[in-house]
Amino acid sequence: MRRTAPLHQNDGTPKPLLDMGSARTLVQVRWGSVRGAAMQIVIRSTDRLRGPKALDLGPVFGALLAAAQESPLDLARLRVVGDWVQYKQNFREPVDARLICPTATASARAYRAGLDAEAEAGTDISASGLELGVDLRRANAADLPDLFRQALSLGGDGQEHDRCRLYLEAWGPESASCIWAFNALYWSALGLWEQATGNEYEQALPKGESDARNVAAARDLILELFRVWDDLAAQHALPEDLYILELGVGNGNQARVWLDEFVRMDRERNGGAYYRRLHYLMGDYSPHVLERARANVSSHAEHVSSLVLDARALTQTLRFLSYKAFLIYISNVYDNLPTDEIVRLGGHLFRVEVRTFIAGATAERLAAQVGITPAELRDLVGRLLHLGPALLAEAAAERFHGDPLAAVALWRALWEALRLEERYVPIEELDTYEVAPGISGEILRPIVEANGDVRMHVSNGAAASFADSMPLLHPFGVLQCHDLFVTDIDQYQSGFRGPGKYDGSVVNWVNGPVLAAIGRRRGFDVQFRRFAHRAGSNVLTLTARVRE
Amino acid sequence: MARDLPLQALPDGAGNGAATAARLMTPLATSVVGSYSVPEWLERLKTDYYQRRISGAYLAEIHDVAIKAALKDQERAGIDVVSDGELRRDNDVDYFLARMPGVEIPHRAKDFYYDYYEARVTHPLPELDPAGPPPLGLLDDFLFTRQYTDRPIKFSLTGPFSLSRRVRNECYGDEAELVLAFARTLNREARALAAAGVAVLQVDEPFLAGYRDRAGLAVQALNVVFEGVDPRTTLRAVHVCYGNRYARPLWEGQYDFLFPAILDAHVDQVVLEFARKGYDDLELFRRYPDTSFTLGLGVIDVKSHEVETPELIAARVRRALQVLPPQRLMVNPDCGLRHLPSDVARAKLQALTVGTALVRRELPGDG
Repeated sequence: MRRTAPLHQNDGTPKPLLDMGSARTLVQVRWGSVRGAAMQIVIRSTDRLRGPKALDLGPVFGALLAAAQESPLDLARLRVVGDWVQYKQNFREPVDARLICPTATASARAYRAGLDAEAEAGTDISASGLELGVDLRRANAADLPDLFRQALSLGGDGQEHDRCRLYLEAWGPESASCIWAFNALYWSALGLWEQATGNEYEQALPKGESDARNVAAARDLILELFRVWDDLAAQHALPEDLYILELGVGNGNQARVWLDEFVRMDRERNGGAYYRRLHYLMGDYSPHVLERARANVSSHAEHVSSLVLDARALTQTLRFLSYKAFLIYISNVYDNLPTDEIVRLGGHLFRVEVRTFIAGATAERLAAQVGITPAELRDLVGRLLHLGPALLAEAAAERFHGDPLAAVALWRALWEALRLEERYVPIEELDTYEVAPGISGEILRPIVEANGDVRMHVSNGAAASFADSMPLLHPFGVLQCHDLFVTDIDQYQSGFRGPGKYDGSVVNWVNGPVLAAIGRRRGFDVQFRRFAHRAGSNVLTLTARVRE
Repeated sequence: MARDLPLQALPDGAGNGAATAARLMTPLATSVVGSYSVPEWLERLKTDYYQRRISGAYLAEIHDVAIKAALKDQERAGIDVVSDGELRRDNDVDYFLARMPGVEIPHRAKDFYYDYYEARVTHPLPELDPAGPPPLGLLDDFLFTRQYTDRPIKFSLTGPFSLSRRVRNECYGDEAELVLAFARTLNREARALAAAGVAVLQVDEPFLAGYRDRAGLAVQALNVVFEGVDPRTTLRAVHVCYGNRYARPLWEGQYDFLFPAILDAHVDQVVLEFARKGYDDLELFRRYPDTSFTLGLGVIDVKSHEVETPELIAARVRRALQVLPPQRLMVNPDCGLRHLPSDVARAKLQALTVGTALVRRELPGDG
């Protein structure tokens, strides 16, 4: 039973403050609660629990409970979350242990609890918790009992891992992880990657083709533009130059389909009057990709400009376009931009911090393949990300014999082996967390407060890009984006939304409610609907227009 | 024929009448357009009110404090003619429509305080008792402001044409009838405000630029609003811009659509946006030399967070002086400052006054 400690000593003097480092108490604190709180088990993807291919969780629970019985860990501090990770290539182990760092509130309660209790040997006053993340898709692995035992033996401090993992970075926000450097490398050295795999990247997409090629979708957009331009022309308010901006141009197929269709429709309507005034801007951060796209639209060369730019900081490059773009078209870009994740647990907010690692045995194998030690492998990864495979093959000719494809082989093996270790760090004041430049975390508050405990993406890169697109839109302009969107926060409870690996790139579903809140704050109506021109696709269309 | 700022006698209500007149008659006097920076925390509290999470009494007190701070900011920046920052208003339209007799608003809760209501008119607006109090209650807003500043006060009303654009008209067969009905109600308010000592009474028409062919109707309604407002004591102004909702333009174009209709307006000043769009439209004052009004010259781009330098402000004022004499210029931002962060708004106003002072020192006979 919980005892109340006197605040004064026998001689009447105030009791000294407890030394947290040496304190031992019967009271155990879990996110602000006290002993007796329940262990939480959360199963997401509940649709996997029914039907002819229903998942049998019996072995999972059996293994978990057996490990729990052996563990000295206070189970009131334990939380178990089951996900179905649909991406066969991803950053997770079948069982991951995540430390839940104590919030200021939990720490204060633990401290007070320590004051209230008599010190007693062998007990734990930690205010931290532990979350076990289980990938249910791989949960029938024979080694599951061992994996649970290992995870629980960590006690949430992660120390044991240090001896068997090669870490590539220190703890940090997910958006700053080196997985994004790998992602950038993929786009900048796409040609070599494709040469090594023998596949164009579009073949890695679920249907083997980007939705950008869809002619019917292009036609709908063009018709809408014509309507707006006709109205403005009738009011003598149509500018001489008509700007269209496409972000993330890929191989240029979207641009070519769109421009071909535009020319055809414009000629039929009014003899090509709008085409003569058209400026089609293709933006991408990869010169290599832009070059390929430019070649694809060479028949429209007089109307097309290509710009190397960062989709997250558009106005740095495109300030001249302020309030001039009639259409900003984005396809499958946002899901490939860096993001953090935040977690709400018991009313407290946490940021997911990560550090990438390669399992020790894998690191040894990869290092041996190029004749170096695992410790040297970390440096080699840094050089790969900095130089790219072509230059690395020259700079480390003794390892790769000057063959870029040998460097690509290492790159691909590293990418396959990359994993993320995670921990939850409290966000004590939301306004100190930056969603994107000029957008404080306060914009998240209504979303997280309305949706209970949840782990969700912030979609920082998408938010930055979206927010920085809006100043470019003409008052009658429209932004249209095809991507993987979560449109209801509850969807984070019903499925895994990333990160996953698509070929050599990172994919995360985009938090639609966050973008909608940002748009709303800037006077835009943001709507989501199913991509109208392909059945059975997960792709949604975001449309943003100035609200009246 | 051109007129200088028309303020020979001001009521003592706006502080010291003589001092007020002196400030307004200063060549290149400085002012604001109306709204002042609305911090994010205030937006949240306003939204809380519209979602009934805090009481109206709390919000009113919060507004009082915010208005005092806004006045202090303007005074410290050296602005000659100040405003209450329109901080009590949810937006430029609903604050008026929600108080307008005869306008129906079925749902008064909002997801976000700045959203527009769905308003409608299903019956003719009631004719008001000439002896009754002004119907919109704006006089209280002005009287509060007057307690906390000795400077001349600008007070703005959203114009009847713009109000009509946000109302579903299910009653009047001709849109002009609705516009003029709003104008008659606003006129009652305008007379009361002028009598109470408002130094600059400004009608804002933020939607007019999107309806270029309605300038004549807007001017006709404007004259109804200002009917009976004594130009010897109150400067009658009209502000037309290209929109500032969420710091975005609603339209693009040139001010030529205002001319020649605006020449028939019974106004003493036209307050226009230039800093963002450029100063080419100043040529309209050359093309129409018979303009009788002064110009409220926009020199601050309110859609950009980049703070103008005093030198840039001075250059913009000098550009206008090539077309109009200093007695016919008042210097102000392009539009309201509501979407700017507080620190940026303060810095921009500071730049405005410092830059204007640079030019004042260059005027013949100065100092």
